Amino acid sequence: MCEHHFDHGMVLDSSLRGGKGSMNKTLKNPLAYVLFTVPTLLMYLLFFLYPLLTSLRYGFTQWNGISHAQFNGLDNFVTALHDKYFWIAVKNNIYFILFSVFIQIPFILALALLISRVKRLSGFYKTTVFLPSILSTAVVGVLWSFVYHPEAGLLNKLLEAIGLSSWKHVWLADEATAFLSVLVTNAWQWIGFYVVLVLAAIFAIPKDILEAAEIDGAIGWKQAWAITVPLIRPVLIVIVLLSITGAMKALDIVFVMTNGDPYGITEVMATYMYKKAYRIGEYGYANAIAILIFVFTVILTLIFRFLTRKSEEVQYG
Amino acid sequence: MKKATVVSAAVVLASSVMLSACGTSNTATEGGTSSTAPAATAAPAKVEPITLNLRHTQVKDTQKKRLAMLQDVVKATEANVPGLTITLDGVEDQVNRFEKLRAEMAAGNPPEIFDLFGGTDTKDYVKADRLLDLTPILEELGLKDKFYSFEEFTVDGKIYGIPMAGYVEGLFYNKKILADNQIDPPKTWDELLAASDKLKAKGITPFAMAAKDAWVINMMMNTMWVRTAGADSVAGFLNGSKKWTDPAVVDGFSKFETLIKKGYFQEGSLALAYAEQQNKFSAGGAAFMFDGSWANTPLIDPEKSKVASDVGFINFPTVGGAGDGLINGGWSNGYGFSKRMDEKQLAAAKEFIKQMYNETMQKRQLLEEGMLPAMKLQDTSGVQPIIAEIIKVSSEAKGTFPAFDASIQTKVRESLERGMQELIGGRTTPDKLTAELQKQQDASNKEDGQK
Repeated sequence: MCEHHFDHGMVLDSSLRGGKGSMNKTLKNPLAYVLFTVPTLLMYLLFFLYPLLTSLRYGFTQWNGISHAQFNGLDNFVTALHDKYFWIAVKNNIYFILFSVFIQIPFILALALLISRVKRLSGFYKTTVFLPSILSTAVVGVLWSFVYHPEAGLLNKLLEAIGLSSWKHVWLADEATAFLSVLVTNAWQWIGFYVVLVLAAIFAIPKDILEAAEIDGAIGWKQAWAITVPLIRPVLIVIVLLSITGAMKALDIVFVMTNGDPYGITEVMATYMYKKAYRIGEYGYANAIAILIFVFTVILTLIFRFLTRKSEEVQYG
Repeated sequence: MKKATVVSAAVVLASSVMLSACGTSNTATEGGTSSTAPAATAAPAKVEPITLNLRHTQVKDTQKKRLAMLQDVVKATEANVPGLTITLDGVEDQVNRFEKLRAEMAAGNPPEIFDLFGGTDTKDYVKADRLLDLTPILEELGLKDKFYSFEEFTVDGKIYGIPMAGYVEGLFYNKKILADNQIDPPKTWDELLAASDKLKAKGITPFAMAAKDAWVINMMMNTMWVRTAGADSVAGFLNGSKKWTDPAVVDGFSKFETLIKKGYFQEGSLALAYAEQQNKFSAGGAAFMFDGSWANTPLIDPEKSKVASDVGFINFPTVGGAGDGLINGGWSNGYGFSKRMDEKQLAAAKEFIKQMYNETMQKRQLLEEGMLPAMKLQDTSGVQPIIAEIIKVSSEAKGTFPAFDASIQTKVRESLERGMQELIGGRTTPDKLTAELQKQQDASNKEDGQK
């Protein structure tokens, strides 16, 4: 198997070397660069810049999606400022971020550290933890909706069975638990993915550093906290960043599980935008919300970049 | 060179004629209904393919029979129009009505034939110039006088949609539960409360109710405020002569709140989707359920329902208000057609109308599915007992009124839907809710005025 791959590599390598001269000549011609990038640029223009710009334009109009859009200045943004249901959605996005960063990520870290120490069956644990991330969000959402079902749900049945009937809730419709239930489901789905990322970073730490630490007396949790965690900091920062942007654009899981109901308390900005556009036909307002989501996300990301600007690189040795 | 061209052209022509002849005879044998043989015509024209896309909403397990009927109609239509292929595209009812079709109308690319609601929907799409005026076709086919009402599909005297079936909304009840508890079907609000009280005390859920889909709550709410404030209330909200905050309207909402506060609704209703109220009722878990006549199908299906032979239907009890005895009903759901069709597609669509809207089909959907006919039928024998009961209730009603969402603005509807969920969740009161609604109503009326 290995040998075979090796052979293949050799062949490829030599053929590349043969074509090197003409390749270099082509690459000196600026036209070649243009030619190669034009298709991508066109796609980018058509599917990204153009929609972005139209969205910008419609954000300043009153438009029901069918008749002509009428320019109405900053009206949509003023409406958004005073729309209490929009602010419930904003608040939920913030909860989403806080939950991801302060509950989910420590949990991910702990789990990854644990699995990295396991000597036997570590492959089994990795696979098991990773499994939920390969399921589609729709499947996960429906699955957990059953778990939370008020009458036939696993969770309530379980509480009943162990004599905690008073703890039973209408999980997805109770104000105290509805959004939290969605967050837990989302965490369940994505923790495995991040655990695998962190594990990869942990295994990339050179053995001699860890050995040196052990000689110096840093073992067990002490080693994890003083050596491992600082060394995987860059990966952790990426995960925090992904969590923030992921939380800001969250839509699918909420859409499948509660659709923002009951009475808008589980709405996030993206689902609220969707509802305004496609259910109520306020396309202008929905575009304004889209712009606000974009602005909020950029601001948050910039703040985060500023806070972590010095810790991008880790130098081993 | 020239000769070669002529020869090849002749070959192409000959083969195409041969091919098309094959095609025609094929469809004729397959269809079986077309009697004219293609050979009879002197020069059989090449059959050009015609395609029609048809958006329907028969996607649920409970709608299997409706889908089968539609498929039969499609088959018959295809058989009568050579070269026609109708592509069926099924989308869930609410998603189609409020999201998909709306977006397609916005973009200007709806399917040629689609499931359409009368009232606001039809008006919006007429305003955007997307709907085909069906008046000449209905006249040509002699269908115009055969229907009960095109009212909800009529804009400025022109008809833009053809209703499939009618509906009424009322109170389904479990005959066995009521009889076991010595309760007569309630005729007044007080009787309804007394019955609910008695049932609740015995641990029986009085009302099956799924409130996650807010429109489900508003079926009953609509009837209740019409009971207290009269059938002209919705028109009054729109022209400003009546207000949501009028005491008679608020009274309806307060009555609804009474049902919530006394715990008469199914537990956890805010987390339950529409189908779950029917599940609860058909499992024998609740005594009453407010729903549309269309809901009878799963209730009397012995495969799905434990109460198949115990289902009764009554008009909502009287409350001593202006709207007592009325029933919410109409002919508001059917098929609409896109304006963007060529001659051939139009002819095919006409054939579809012919196959779809006739006594046989209407009778069939009445018998098989209990869908109230949209066309005046000569003979209604052999219907299921519950359907007979529904028909009796609707004919005994003092009059009908259309569902509020046929005319009220989308934003007001959304406001009401959220408000009713808040009411069930104990987050608002009838006074606050109606004040909020009136605020939205004023804003929406003003917006309409500007247009």
